[in-house]
Amino acid sequence: MTAVQKRIIMNRIALGFSTLSAIIALAFLFWILAVLVMKGVNALNWNIFIFEGAPPGYAESGLKHALVGQLILVGLATGIGVPLGILAGTYLSEYGKNSKLAHTIRDISDIMMSSPSIVIGAFVYAIIVMPMGHFSAWAGAIALAIIMIPIILRTTDDMLQLVPQTLREAAFALGAPKYKVILSVVYRGAKAGILTGVLLGIARVAGETAPLLFTSFNDNFFTTDLNEAMPSLTVTMFNYAISPYEDWQQLGWAAAFILSLFILGLNIVGRLILFAGKRK
Amino acid sequence: MIDKLFFNFTRFSAFLILVIVAWIFVVLFNHSLEAMHAFGLDFITQDQWAPNLNKFGAYAAILGSVLSTTLAMILAVPVAIGVAIFLSEIAHDKIKSFFGISVELLAAIPSVIYGMWGLFYFVPIIRDVFGGMGIGLLAAGIVLAIMILPFMAAVTRDAMNTTPDILKESAYALGGTQWDVIKDVIIPYAKAGIIGSLILALGRAIGETMAVTFVMGNVHKVPTSILSPMTSIPVTLANEFTEADSSLYFSSLFGLALTLLVMSFIVIAIAKFYFLRKTRRA
Amino acid sequence: MASIIDIKTECALHVRDFEFTYKGATAPSLKKVTMPIAKHSITALIGPSGCGKTTLLRSFNRMHDLYPGNTYAGEISFEGRNILDPKEDLIHLRTKIGMIFQKPTAFPMSIFDNVAYGLRLQGIKNKTELEGRVEKALEDAAIWKEVKDRLKHDANGLSGGQQQRLCIARAIAVEPEVLLFDEPTSALDPISTQGIERLVIELKEKVSIIIVTHNMQQAARVSDYTGFMYLGELIELGETENLFVTPKEKLTQEYITGKFG
Repeated sequence: MTAVQKRIIMNRIALGFSTLSAIIALAFLFWILAVLVMKGVNALNWNIFIFEGAPPGYAESGLKHALVGQLILVGLATGIGVPLGILAGTYLSEYGKNSKLAHTIRDISDIMMSSPSIVIGAFVYAIIVMPMGHFSAWAGAIALAIIMIPIILRTTDDMLQLVPQTLREAAFALGAPKYKVILSVVYRGAKAGILTGVLLGIARVAGETAPLLFTSFNDNFFTTDLNEAMPSLTVTMFNYAISPYEDWQQLGWAAAFILSLFILGLNIVGRLILFAGKRK
Repeated sequence: MIDKLFFNFTRFSAFLILVIVAWIFVVLFNHSLEAMHAFGLDFITQDQWAPNLNKFGAYAAILGSVLSTTLAMILAVPVAIGVAIFLSEIAHDKIKSFFGISVELLAAIPSVIYGMWGLFYFVPIIRDVFGGMGIGLLAAGIVLAIMILPFMAAVTRDAMNTTPDILKESAYALGGTQWDVIKDVIIPYAKAGIIGSLILALGRAIGETMAVTFVMGNVHKVPTSILSPMTSIPVTLANEFTEADSSLYFSSLFGLALTLLVMSFIVIAIAKFYFLRKTRRA
Repeated sequence: MASIIDIKTECALHVRDFEFTYKGATAPSLKKVTMPIAKHSITALIGPSGCGKTTLLRSFNRMHDLYPGNTYAGEISFEGRNILDPKEDLIHLRTKIGMIFQKPTAFPMSIFDNVAYGLRLQGIKNKTELEGRVEKALEDAAIWKEVKDRLKHDANGLSGGQQQRLCIARAIAVEPEVLLFDEPTSALDPISTQGIERLVIELKEKVSIIIVTHNMQQAARVSDYTGFMYLGELIELGETENLFVTPKEKLTQEYITGKFG
């Protein structure tokens, strides 16, 4: 066998292996997707949206409490995390720029983005749950907001930097003060990008379970009291899935399916906005 | 006036990040002091974790984290590199976008669902094939590997795609096969980016809680085989934080959280600053 | 319509009624190109950007096959066969027809390994043989003196002009019949450009050369034959001197006198 023939065979083997690994990866991933969709669709019914949690065995058992709790938690987290993230990103892009400080903040924020979310939960437990003496929706929302800030900060920083410098200069030339230039020119130019970042940030924290386990904890009943433990889809899903009761497990899959659809929807809308913004 | 105010608002928010990160370290450190005083180095070298005796040694949990992520890396890295090669060098455009959409789909799935899938669908298979309980190190490693695979493959592909076309063409122009070009040009060229991407995925795997909580077993024991049920730092935190009933128990859990944070910080920092520095930001 | 001279001497390549269509395009990018390439001489391809000169060049070593969906029609004959045949052995073809790119493309490895790369691909493992052939190639590429003391160093430490000569050494190490140059000096300073041009002229003793250039002076300085292309067609092929002094086609004349470009 000549050297060239050997190389051709080696090429076939290597490319075959890499195609095989892609097939294996896809097979596993579709298996999970298929389970999620089939189990989820099977478990879906109107009761889920009408009733709150009930002990196992009850027919009138639903996820209303967790759905509303999830929306409250994510909404609160968005209310806290988005303004802080956007302002911080604005500082980096418009004031800090290439200063050492700005780079340090970017680096630390980048590391934060990949840090274990359960540690954030432990931190919030220590600073809020322990002094207050009980779990609360506030604690859960703050934990989610801390996870959200680095994501929003990063996209805002990146998106604002894409706004052409000439646009800023043109506004300055008209005598506008810097804050006005930023608010009316720079933000407007980066609107689509920032909005996408916000949606992706919300999508990311909506799927978090670990930081909620010991901050907002869980509750099997409907509540809107922000000073009390609050149910969420993720923690409910976790608790129901590890329970030995089949009807609870069913509800767990329904929660999984609804939450995945919600997150996927946010992802799609976010990308569509960015896409539409780019085409203009 | 307003100008100054706006500036201060933005500066405050930016500094808040630094403050929060520092605060996290300080809080976790302060709360773990009691356990540090009580156990000293034994905290990380002893494997006896016995809340009823007020004895807390984190060795088994730390080992569990190391073993499960190592196993996940061993399983995921070759597949991820294979997938990345497939996506950057073999697949046609349609397959590429199909795969891209699939990866987006999977990124949208919360990790707790990977755990549920593992518990209900994969653990029984392990039980049938290998015997034992099914839950344990092997199940955790596999679920974790699947969980990080899409991210790992995507970032590895991005690293490979930084190789200029003209460089690849030069190797083809000398009569190289695709594999020659991959191993002699693309991988050496993108080496730093590829290693950085893999380590970044490792950093994420270390802190992953929900995907493994279901399938690990939460047993504070040094494993005797790959099928042994065991625990890891995040799994211990998830299962025991709300059950802790003594201040030493709490303190030990905070010690675990601090250990986990330091581990992942170091891994992520190595990935970002040592390997990905050049490609990070133009 | 086109004015193509007959080449009296032996031809290295012969293009006949060649058409090339990029993936998804409705019209071919090269239309019925017929063109002889003389052996042991330099043929330059000139024309405004988008005229198809690089597309034609990249057809000679079937580089377009790296991107699926492109189609060829017609004939390019080389060593008595049509290399557009789907059964053509591309690995073999590319060792016979080498290529130099717009930018230096040193691989991320040592200077020695760069030049030895093509040889190793052919299965040459013997250390003395490798060393001998690498030295010869580097000498022929007029860079041996500059690098002989640092063969083990990373090739990316060389200057742009040196890297381009290294790439030429790498291409000639495997002893090809034809060398394709795709605007080889477009990324280089004037002095390095001079060096490369001198080298190209020396190399025609051993190989047949086709060079694409956006620089008419360069074509005039180095080539024996020049082909002028426009909108995917070969408008005129002639001896360089004749083409620049007494072009036969009106379009050629307008182009070389700078009426468009």
